[in-house]
Amino acid sequence: MSELTVVGKPVTRVDVNEKITGQAIYGYDLVLPNMLYGKVLFSPKAHAKIKRINTVKAKQYPGVVAVVTGEDAPWTHGESIKDKPFLAQEKVRYIGEPVAAVATEDEDMAETAVKLIEVEYEDLPVYTDPEEACKPGRGAIHENFDKYRKVEFIVGSHLPNIAEHFKLRTGDVEIGFKESDLILEERYFVPIIQHAAMEPHSAHAQFDKESGRLTIWVANDAPFRALHEITEALNMPKEKIRFINPLQGGGFGSKGGLKVEPIAVALAFHTSGRPVRVKFNREETFISTLTRHEAVVYCKSGVKKDGTLMAREMTIYWGAGAYAEKSPTVCIRGSLPAPGPYRIPHVKVDGYAVYTNKPVAGSYRGYGIPQGAWACEQQMDELAKRLGMDPVEIRMKNIFVEGDVSYWSERLHAVGLKETLIKATAAIEWGKKTQPTKFGTKIGKGFACIQKPTRSPTTSNAGVLVNSRGEVTVLAGTVEIGQGCNTILSQVAAEELKVPMDKVFMHPLDTDAIPYDASTTSSRSTYHMGNAVRRAAIHARQQIAEAASPMLEANVQDLDFAHGKVFLKDQPQMALPIGEVVRRKLGTNGVVRGDGSYTYEIGKDLDLETGHSDHASAFYMYATQAAEVMVDEESGRVRLLRMSAAHDVGKAINPLNCVAQIEGGLAMGIGSALHEEMVVDNTGKVRNPSFLDYHLVTSLDVPKMIPIIVECPEPEGPYGAKGLGEPGLAPTPAAIGNAVADALGVRVYDLPLKPENVYWAIQNKKKKDAA
Amino acid sequence: MKKKIQLTLNGKITTLEVPSHRLLLDLLRDEIGLTGTKEGCGTGDCGACTVFLNGKPVNSCLVLSGELDGTDIVTIEGLKIGPELHPIQKAFIQDGGAQCGYCTPGMLMMSKALLDENPNPTEEEIRFALSGNLCRCTGYAKIIQAVQDAAAELRSKNV
Repeated sequence: MSELTVVGKPVTRVDVNEKITGQAIYGYDLVLPNMLYGKVLFSPKAHAKIKRINTVKAKQYPGVVAVVTGEDAPWTHGESIKDKPFLAQEKVRYIGEPVAAVATEDEDMAETAVKLIEVEYEDLPVYTDPEEACKPGRGAIHENFDKYRKVEFIVGSHLPNIAEHFKLRTGDVEIGFKESDLILEERYFVPIIQHAAMEPHSAHAQFDKESGRLTIWVANDAPFRALHEITEALNMPKEKIRFINPLQGGGFGSKGGLKVEPIAVALAFHTSGRPVRVKFNREETFISTLTRHEAVVYCKSGVKKDGTLMAREMTIYWGAGAYAEKSPTVCIRGSLPAPGPYRIPHVKVDGYAVYTNKPVAGSYRGYGIPQGAWACEQQMDELAKRLGMDPVEIRMKNIFVEGDVSYWSERLHAVGLKETLIKATAAIEWGKKTQPTKFGTKIGKGFACIQKPTRSPTTSNAGVLVNSRGEVTVLAGTVEIGQGCNTILSQVAAEELKVPMDKVFMHPLDTDAIPYDASTTSSRSTYHMGNAVRRAAIHARQQIAEAASPMLEANVQDLDFAHGKVFLKDQPQMALPIGEVVRRKLGTNGVVRGDGSYTYEIGKDLDLETGHSDHASAFYMYATQAAEVMVDEESGRVRLLRMSAAHDVGKAINPLNCVAQIEGGLAMGIGSALHEEMVVDNTGKVRNPSFLDYHLVTSLDVPKMIPIIVECPEPEGPYGAKGLGEPGLAPTPAAIGNAVADALGVRVYDLPLKPENVYWAIQNKKKKDAA
Repeated sequence: MKKKIQLTLNGKITTLEVPSHRLLLDLLRDEIGLTGTKEGCGTGDCGACTVFLNGKPVNSCLVLSGELDGTDIVTIEGLKIGPELHPIQKAFIQDGGAQCGYCTPGMLMMSKALLDENPNPTEEEIRFALSGNLCRCTGYAKIIQAVQDAAAELRSKNV
């Protein structure tokens, strides 16, 4: 084929018009005919037995159509451990757990009716600290853990409240430490934060008794996985369940799995076929949907005088909250690369996903990488400092390069890490000191590197339809959550069929019409679905070429495509519009359908004892971000002066979109670095479940951002592309932490870098120095 | 208690009978069916529901329907100038100001409010004006760029 025409170009988003006019219909906007309104009663207790639930008063309230409790919905779900009930059964495990729900004729009634449900609780001991909750002798949050249905890779523990224990064993760390000239051991902490997608959670469900069909309308980032989970929970035929995806107002990991869906479904079985809408408001979204794992990270490193890393030992306690959700896989995929993108001969990692009586933690953009990087990347700087080396130098000495074998036994390729490091640090003039202009402030620079795997193995399927008008429809199960997949996938189809972008349309997402896709997670879509759409488009192109061959009296191999036409390579005037080919072959209403599928097969499964795998991930994403900060020594306030973010994307299918992803990820990372934390007190109550008290990044908080695209092509990826969505926030806190330490000569070990944490770090250092 | 109110909505005189306690946001979305105005928090903290009330931007989740008699309301559905997109909308398309798009209607309304008052804002003034409108996708850079471009476009038209 000829050179690229659409791929690699800064094409305008295909979904932007409906978004800037207010015409776009999101899940939260959806209204269905004859719809009922659902409202949930949430647990006010963090850990308690349910002694009695009385629904009589609620059922008698005017306008109430259904009241359901755990008794009416005796089902559980969970991606890897089936531990989560649709509605609480026998006990509650966190404040915010759905206990009961009502469906009413109007929304005002629902608010009142749900408060009429009476629940009697008996308190149980509350565990809020993941490190404490798994100490021997602690009571079980899940008494029946051993009996839960689970996937085969779950590794249990003799310790209490462990949902997963991940082990990585490479070499012998004791030997490594013995051979080291310097050993450093530190404890780092990352608090709970929340996705805070601007659209709160909601779901609509309808059950038709006659046909046995269950339809769920929800902005879920993995409708096929959600469908599978509902199927497994209800033991219904898969063909009877249908997910329809309205537009999604952001997700960042919060809208996968099942959140509001089980409540809507439980109600829908009791409404005589009428659809039910259940919306969470912002506070409910904060306490009852999903959070990012808090993590306690112990990191011990051994290094030679010349900076060569000899050994790294890490123990990570991932606070899972009350249910396992995606904790087992966050624990695995976050703990595995936690020692950083470096050649280290001796490595030992123990990751524990620990149940607590807190809101449920799960997937969050970055999937465990930010927590590990916060520890490992700061420790790299500490090691450098004590060895009298430049932080760049120590990394250059150890950093993964093409062909290295990682400490989990995988030969790495397409490693653009070094280039990201060089470019990100250059962009903030690394090595050049900036003099503070304000009295009482100090200026410092820092950076951090990360490597991120993607969920593997997974499959994407796609269909590409070409009609007699030459219009192309792409059937892909990737969910447009704001990341721009509809634009990227349209570009891929346009590229392969050589049609203009305005001839390409994305089919709405409906599991009845769209072929299977694993999920819109893990930065996997451009690579997996990009490959699937590309194959489907090529399949369609082949059929059109075969149909055109007799029409143009030419061999298939002598035909080429451009500008929506198929033509003879050496006689371009001998051409037919592709729509015309479809019409002549199949009639005016004829459609050519191409199908494509892509599966990345891993080699050996991750070994459960050593954590080793020769192909742990379809591809790896590499990034370096660098920050310059100004810190007020008296107040501890950190101000960002500028930040660069260099990301190896393999190939930028749409550079505009890549920059958008980098900037958005970076801003999110800045929030998590400087002020975001979901404060949960020791009774398990969230103290700041609102945008007033939970400080998201605003337009005033974002500094000058310098996004940098690095292209180190991935041979298996479409046009060389990898993924990009998640890494944007992963190195950010560590980069800023390193800059703060550079400015002050004091390291802060606990996120966020809010004034009081920085202030106390300064005071403690002063005390220590005085003593 | 229901109250009869008459207001001008996107240029059209509209008569409604609504409970006084109904929020303007819910009135627009649930009773009238204009879902372009988004609900992000319901407590006046995110700006996604920004509309114009008598020419001034307000969080529609903080306004009660009972106060609306005789008012003039403009929502995102009324931002277009005739059949034409408003220059701010065009700038958001061109610069990539929208990703998931959920904060976008509120951002556009607040941007218009800024440019109505200050046709030539500095970057700092734009950041300040939009600081009550939360966006979780973009990092604001492209939004700020779009407002700057729209301001330039509007100024060139007025000359």
